[in-house]
Formats: sequence, structure tokens, C-alpha cells
Amino acid sequence: MGYTIDFRSAGMERQAVTAWGVTEPRDDDSLVSAAREGDRAAFGRLYDRYARMVHGILLSRVPPREVDDLVQEVFLLALRQLHALRDISRFGAWLATITRNRANDYFRRAIPDGKLTEPVSENQAESRTSNHAAEQEAAMILAVVRDLPEPYREPLILRLVEGMTGPEIAARTGLTHGSVRVNLCRGMQMLREKLGETVRGAS
Amino acid sequence: MKDDYLWDGSGEPDPQVQKLETVLGRYRHNQPAPAFDQVAEIRPVKRPWRFLNLRLSMQLGAVAACLVVSVALYFYLRPPTVDDRGPSWEVARLAGAPRIGLKAVGANAGTGKLSVGQTLVTDSSSRANITLNETGTIDVDAGSRIRVVQSGRGRKRLSLERGTIHATIWAPPGEFVVDTPSAVAVDLGCVYTLQVDDSGVGLLRTTLGWVGFKLNGHESFIPAGAVCATRPKIGPGTPYFEDASASFREALSRFDFGVNTPAERNALLGILLVDARKKDALTLWHLLSRVSDVERPGLYDRLAALAPPPAGVTREGILRLDRQMLDSWWNALGFGDVFVWRTFEHNWSDPPPKAK
Repeated sequence: MGYTIDFRSAGMERQAVTAWGVTEPRDDDSLVSAAREGDRAAFGRLYDRYARMVHGILLSRVPPREVDDLVQEVFLLALRQLHALRDISRFGAWLATITRNRANDYFRRAIPDGKLTEPVSENQAESRTSNHAAEQEAAMILAVVRDLPEPYREPLILRLVEGMTGPEIAARTGLTHGSVRVNLCRGMQMLREKLGETVRGAS
Repeated sequence: MKDDYLWDGSGEPDPQVQKLETVLGRYRHNQPAPAFDQVAEIRPVKRPWRFLNLRLSMQLGAVAACLVVSVALYFYLRPPTVDDRGPSWEVARLAGAPRIGLKAVGANAGTGKLSVGQTLVTDSSSRANITLNETGTIDVDAGSRIRVVQSGRGRKRLSLERGTIHATIWAPPGEFVVDTPSAVAVDLGCVYTLQVDDSGVGLLRTTLGWVGFKLNGHESFIPAGAVCATRPKIGPGTPYFEDASASFREALSRFDFGVNTPAERNALLGILLVDARKKDALTLWHLLSRVSDVERPGLYDRLAALAPPPAGVTREGILRLDRQMLDSWWNALGFGDVFVWRTFEHNWSDPPPKAK
């Protein structure tokens, strides 16, 4: 099952999983309440807590070069619609839904032709602009992850790219631990197989 | 568990996961927060009131209403589309000679396809597996009949007419359901076993995650380690943990499905309250909305002793079955977030499409 990609310049040092506050419901609730009352600093704190989730969800759906701008758009949209959130304790799930909808809108509105719907081609094109082997390798792997079935790629990107733990992904997105864990395991299994195929195909 | 490192970074580090973290980490979010304090307050723009605008708006409104009615009629009356039918489940023979309708599953290759409207049948000596890449995988035991009712995007629906299935579902919560003669099982991210006998009596056992079981608004949540029985015309019973005492399980079965006099019912409830352990709060919470107004105060007191209600949940509120308080208490029990159920379950309130 193992794959043998040459990670060349990629270091082997352990990249810490950043288990930032997994469950701080009261803190989040009070921040959401304050933000609804117009406290922009509180909303900034929410940004700090949820930006990785939003970034990861977008990265699993839209071209990488568009993600940073869309993260800002999503939070501005959330800021404007915060009054419509009925249950403040569901801020994370609500924000995740806004993010997925914005990613869908991106493809409905912004694609002049079909090229952006091919994440592999798009990533490869991006990587051609760089001579750095590690960048090419990262682009290739990201493309493989983005080619996985939808239920897998989102938790895998949140875990492997954004460094969120499984419990944190569940808490932030409002999904159950069981669902996230199953999708992480199955997705990782499929990713190993796909990477193995990619390497075999290249050699 | 061997996936502990992937799950939460604990346990034996997985070198391949570590490599991927390192390589993909370059894409990690690193943008500072925008200056939200400089974002102007968004207010709806008020347009000047003009008679002509009103008239035009009314005309446009009428046209829009006609369009909406036409589109609604089209979607209501149209035949099933390709999207409704969706992808087929891959069928693999595990033993014997399972059939799809009257045809044996891939006499040579041992594989086949199961599409909307088709039924997979396993006799007493055959078993099969069905898999849908975007949804999950299901082992179908001997003596089963299972039909694909719906396979559209985001909505996968099977009907287990009899037999046993073991489901591992990775679709997002609420996207996959199984109809049985006595309840509908709504997946909420889980691994579970579902059995239905020839009389329509069912049993659901959850291994991982949790499952919602419902019929006509009567709902049960079954977390990992718990089981729930169903009966035709009654629906799902009260879920319980399998390691509960024998007397507890016996009393619960009789309470849910027996024909009891008030005195018998009172005695059964007494057994349940006395025998309940802390984790049996699962059962007692469900009983809150299934007992009479007279029985509920005693039940509340016992449940509150085992699992104190969270802040904001009052005795009075629970006794009048305040939905929000019941949900809050459920969430505090730690078996799963009821928000997931409330968010996704309603999608399945519609009746399934008519079989062709």
C-alpha cells in the first residue's frame, strides 16, 4: 500500500499538528454575540479561529491562487449576514456552508472556459512557473488530493494542509467525530493508492 | 489505533502522513485578518417610491409567479431524470449466487451494477457487497432483499425489505438513508448493522458514529454501542446500550412494544429508573418525550441525577417538552450533536420517489 515518492527537498521534520482550541464553545458564542452587536475586534478573533477551516474548504474546491481572496470574501459575507444566523452556537457549521456555497459560486460565475475545472492541469500549469522541485511536488500531490471524491478531500486538506486535528475539524465544521474519522481514514487510504499509481505512471 | 496520528497527531507518527504534512504545509493559510473595523456597515439601500416602479414591479412579479408555477409543475410532473437515477452501486459477490432481479451477479466476474429500481437478492447461502464510491460500502448478508430507491446527487436511498446489512458510510451526514418496513435509518456519519425480519421487525446496532431512526415524526438517536428495535406500525423503540442489565432491557422492550395496563407500565418504568446507569441517560432522555405527563417528573428527576441538565435547561421546560431544552440536554450527554440531525434529517421528510 505504501508509495515511494521522492520528496527531495521536503524536510522530514515533523510539522506539528496545531491543535488550537478545539472546543471553546462559550468563547466562540460570546465572540459571535459580540460580533453581532458590531464588535469588529470580536469578529477578527473569529477570523483567527476559523480562517484555516475556510481556507481548507476553499482549497479543496477552487484553484489555489484564488483561495486567499475568497477567504476574505467569505468572511466579509459572513460579517454582513451574521444577523441571519439563528443559532450562534452553530457558527462554524454555518460558516462552512457559506464557504462551500461561495466555492460553488466561483465556478458558476468566474470560469470563462473549462480549464479551471481541471485541477490537475491548473496546478501543473501553476507549478510550471516555478523551478523549485518541492513546489512542483506539492502541486502534484495537492492535485491528487483534489481529485479524490468530495467527502475525502475536504477533511484531508484540513488535516494535511491546515494542520487541524480530526477533533478540531469535527468541532469547527459541525460534523460528527465518526464521520470525520471514517472520511480521513478512507481518504488517506485512497490517497496512498493514487499517489502510488501516479509514481508508477511517471516511472 | 493505527490511525491515531492521522486523527489527532497522537500515537506512533505515520511517516507518510508526516511527509504529506511537510510537503503540503506550504499551502497552509497564513494571511492576517483583514481590517474588519474599517468595513462599512451594510444597510439595504432605500429606493424612492414611485408609482411607475410599483406598476412595473407588479407586472414583473406576475410574470415571475407564472414562471415559478410553470417550473414547479414541470419538476412535479416530469419523469425521473438521469440525475434522480444517479450512479449505480457496484455489486460484488461474496458467497453463493446473489441475484439482481432474476439475473445472477456476474456469473463469471462476480460483479454487477445495481441501479435505481433494481433489487439485490441473496438466498440462504449467498452474500454480496455493494459499494458506491461517493457514499459508502455495504455487506449484504444471506437471506436479504435490498432495493435502490434513489441515487441522485446528495440523496442516496435504499430499501431493506428483509435481511441484514452492515453499512460503512462516508457520505456527509444525512445524505444516505435506508427505509425498512418499520422505520427509516438516517446515516449521521457511521458504521452500523441493520436487520429486518420477515414480519418487518427491525434492529439497528451502531458501531461508530451515530444513526437517526425515525417514523412519522417518532425519532430515536442511536450512538455507537447502542441498539434500537423497531416494530411495524409503531416505529422505532427506545435506544439502549447493549451492556445494560437484562432486567433493564426486558423492561424497555415491554415498555416500548407491549400492551400494558397503567399499573404494569408504572412498574416497568420503575425498573428502568432503578436499573439505569449513568450511560443509560441515553435511554432515559428518549423516554422523556414518550411517557405521560404524570410519569415525566419522576423520569426527569432520575435523569437529572444521572446526568445533570446543562445551564439554561429547566425542570419546567423539560416537563412541557421544550424542544430547544431537550436538544440542549441531548448535546450535553455527549452522544452526538443534535444540530446535525435537525439540519439534515428534514431532507428526508419527503416521501421517496415512486418505484417504477
